[in-house]
Amino acid sequence: MYQSLLTRRYLTHRIMPLLAALAVALSTAMVATTWSVMGGFLQILLDSGRTFVGDVRIFRPSRGFAHYDELIARLEADPMVDRACAIIETFGVVSLVGDETRAVRVIGVEPTSYDAVTGYFDTLYWHPIDLPNRADRLGEDPRLRPLVPDNPDLARRLELTWEQIEQNGREVMRMDRKILRRVPAIVPGIEVHGHVNRRQPGGWYLPYAHVPNPQRVDDWFLVPVHGEVTLRVLPLDEDGRALEMASRILPVANEFRTGNYEFDSNMVIVRRDMLQEMLHMDEAERIVEGSSSGIVVDPDTGEERFVEPETVVDPARANAVLVSGAAGVEVNALRARVEEIYEAFSREFGQPAARVQTWEQINAGFIGAVRKEIALVLVLFSFISLTAVFLVLAIFWSMVNEKTKDIGILRSLGASRAGIAWLWVRYGLSIGLVGSLLGGLLSVLIVRNINPIHEWLGRALGITVWDPKVYYFSEIPSRIDPSATAIVLIGGVLAAGVGALIPALRAAHLDPVRALRHE
Amino acid sequence: MSETILEARQVHKTYRLGRVDVPVLRGASLRVERGEWVAVLGASGSGKSTLLHLLGGLDRPDRGRGSILFEGRDLAHMGGHELDAYRARSVGFVFQAYHLLPELSVLENVLLGAMVRHGRVGFARRRSALRARAERLLDLMGLGHRLRHRPVELSGGERQRTAIARAMINEPTVLLADEPTGNLDEQTGGAILDAIAALRDAGEGRQTIVMVTHAREVARRADRQVRLRLGEVVEEDVPSPA
Ligand SMILES: Nc1ncnc2c1ncn2[C@@H]1O[C@H](COP(=O)(O)OP(=O)(O)OP(=O)(O)O)[C@@H](O)[C@H]1O
Ligand SMILES: [Mg+2]
Repeated sequence: MYQSLLTRRYLTHRIMPLLAALAVALSTAMVATTWSVMGGFLQILLDSGRTFVGDVRIFRPSRGFAHYDELIARLEADPMVDRACAIIETFGVVSLVGDETRAVRVIGVEPTSYDAVTGYFDTLYWHPIDLPNRADRLGEDPRLRPLVPDNPDLARRLELTWEQIEQNGREVMRMDRKILRRVPAIVPGIEVHGHVNRRQPGGWYLPYAHVPNPQRVDDWFLVPVHGEVTLRVLPLDEDGRALEMASRILPVANEFRTGNYEFDSNMVIVRRDMLQEMLHMDEAERIVEGSSSGIVVDPDTGEERFVEPETVVDPARANAVLVSGAAGVEVNALRARVEEIYEAFSREFGQPAARVQTWEQINAGFIGAVRKEIALVLVLFSFISLTAVFLVLAIFWSMVNEKTKDIGILRSLGASRAGIAWLWVRYGLSIGLVGSLLGGLLSVLIVRNINPIHEWLGRALGITVWDPKVYYFSEIPSRIDPSATAIVLIGGVLAAGVGALIPALRAAHLDPVRALRHE
Repeated sequence: MSETILEARQVHKTYRLGRVDVPVLRGASLRVERGEWVAVLGASGSGKSTLLHLLGGLDRPDRGRGSILFEGRDLAHMGGHELDAYRARSVGFVFQAYHLLPELSVLENVLLGAMVRHGRVGFARRRSALRARAERLLDLMGLGHRLRHRPVELSGGERQRTAIARAMINEPTVLLADEPTGNLDEQTGGAILDAIAALRDAGEGRQTIVMVTHAREVARRADRQVRLRLGEVVEEDVPSPA
């Protein structure tokens, strides 16, 4: 009883406990904010990791499987499946603009079905935009303005509009200006040409310019307008042996950006039919082995006849099918179902077994890494927050000193040691509560406004903590994680209680007579 | 017909200062009868406060050297909780330096003793009765109009009267007052003694009081005077009033 009265009074009549509460508030705000932001960061990564995988992937590297249209029809007939698409995943080498060569993942897609499963169209970077993104304060993003402002007619004819470039990306085709025909093209990740597309602090890309006047398109080297890439892939025969390297020069149709550096710097997208040709995975007629051809004499009639060799048509092949689940379908349940469907299909069509994995399993490496990183940061910050515990301890120690006489008086009135200890622990918990609530509020305010705050820091102090060049997101995640925040706040209350514990025990063990004589 | 309520028997108390033992009480004995007002005189440092703390169960005598008996029970046989209860119910302390809690109002300071004694539930149940008692006591002390004031807003005499009301809130069997007028001028001190005297007669039986003082005039208000000398209690020869 007296504990609650005194706690209230001590809280409202002294400055020290408010300082302690402030320390708790700052610590909890720091940890809660970090947790929310890092959680948001993880979520973005997870989303981007999902981007080009769909929910579940059926994968058989190298030779892949045939009759994929039948497989897709069966998959899409299942109520758990929303859409499915067949692709080819392989490795290749690209010679880039500016004579760079690098190894990349090559994805052969049929764009419309690929988009239905993965949202590919939304990742195309070069398209017209109406508003600059938040960090592009001066509106310097070239996509804000027409590509050829002075001559719209000519621009249209030469297909030099952002609209047309976006369309090129959707079809993975581009006008070959020498022959004036649309030809299969390539869509690399935007960081594949990272030496040409220079990412700005505002989060947008400035194409390489020979003359430093980025407002004039003629001065730019715009990859989806001027760029050409040589793609080399390695076809394999049925036994997995390498055949002769296939090579093609492809114009760049557009570039994609998922926000995941892994994809954006290492992946290129081409048309599936073209890649099938390059890899000899397209539909082909083939002579049945052991069958002979030539002139045959009929033993009965003695008639001579030309026998055609026995042939079969090998259907086109793909080596992966991506599946997206219907709304509300849990991804592991979907995986199990897809596996069943594939097994039935493979039995019926004599296709080999394949790996069926969820997007999380496919990306397990980097998801795990990010999760660990977040845990590490949280542990470090919680450690730093221990300073709040020590601050509460120090403040309480001195308050117990200051209040020694009160403790003696209370003991003379019959208060027990336990009662005195509880007075101080309770007091610590109250300070923790006040501090935590304050910290929670602060954290919500910070997280909600983290982007303006960050911009202000950048402007006022020249500090760029979250450099989009490095972090790869133009905006800091600003989603509040309610359960994480709740955990941190409860932790804050308990931490203050722990900090108060030692001074409380000391108070309880004070000799009442000495306490009363205390000056 | 007289009944001993509180008794110190051959009490020794030694403080230890580093390696040196400082014996303060050396076989002090004192019997306090029910309803009696005893004044304990003595020079500064003679151990008056020490004796009072022992009587009130705030401190214990040297081990095995003397005992304090309350209503015939040896305090040495009481555990920590019993001793807490003894302080909460049976005795009330008044100190020279008032010892009020500065954050609490006059009324809250008085009720504090009741809160400690009854705990949360018990206090809530008796709240109105206790409040009424506190107000009556403060009225008796002439502070009925200052219930909401804080100790800093009171004069020394008013503070001491608040402290007396606090000591009396739980209707203690014995009031232990350690130089209640020590910090006050003669006139205010006189008023405090009047207040104690009024209080003494306000209840059903007469209130038992042990009052420590070094001033003869103050001691004269008591029924009986004893003196601490060389660690022992001796009866004070009171010169009969001329
Ligand atoms: N905790 C302690 N440690 C050592 N010595 C102590 C302690 N408490 C009291 N003393 C000593 O015991 C002696 C008696 O002290 P006490 O306070 O009982 O005297 P007192 O008669 O009340 O004096 P005063 O009239 O000045 O209040 C003093 O000499 C004091 O210095
Ligand atoms: Mg004294």
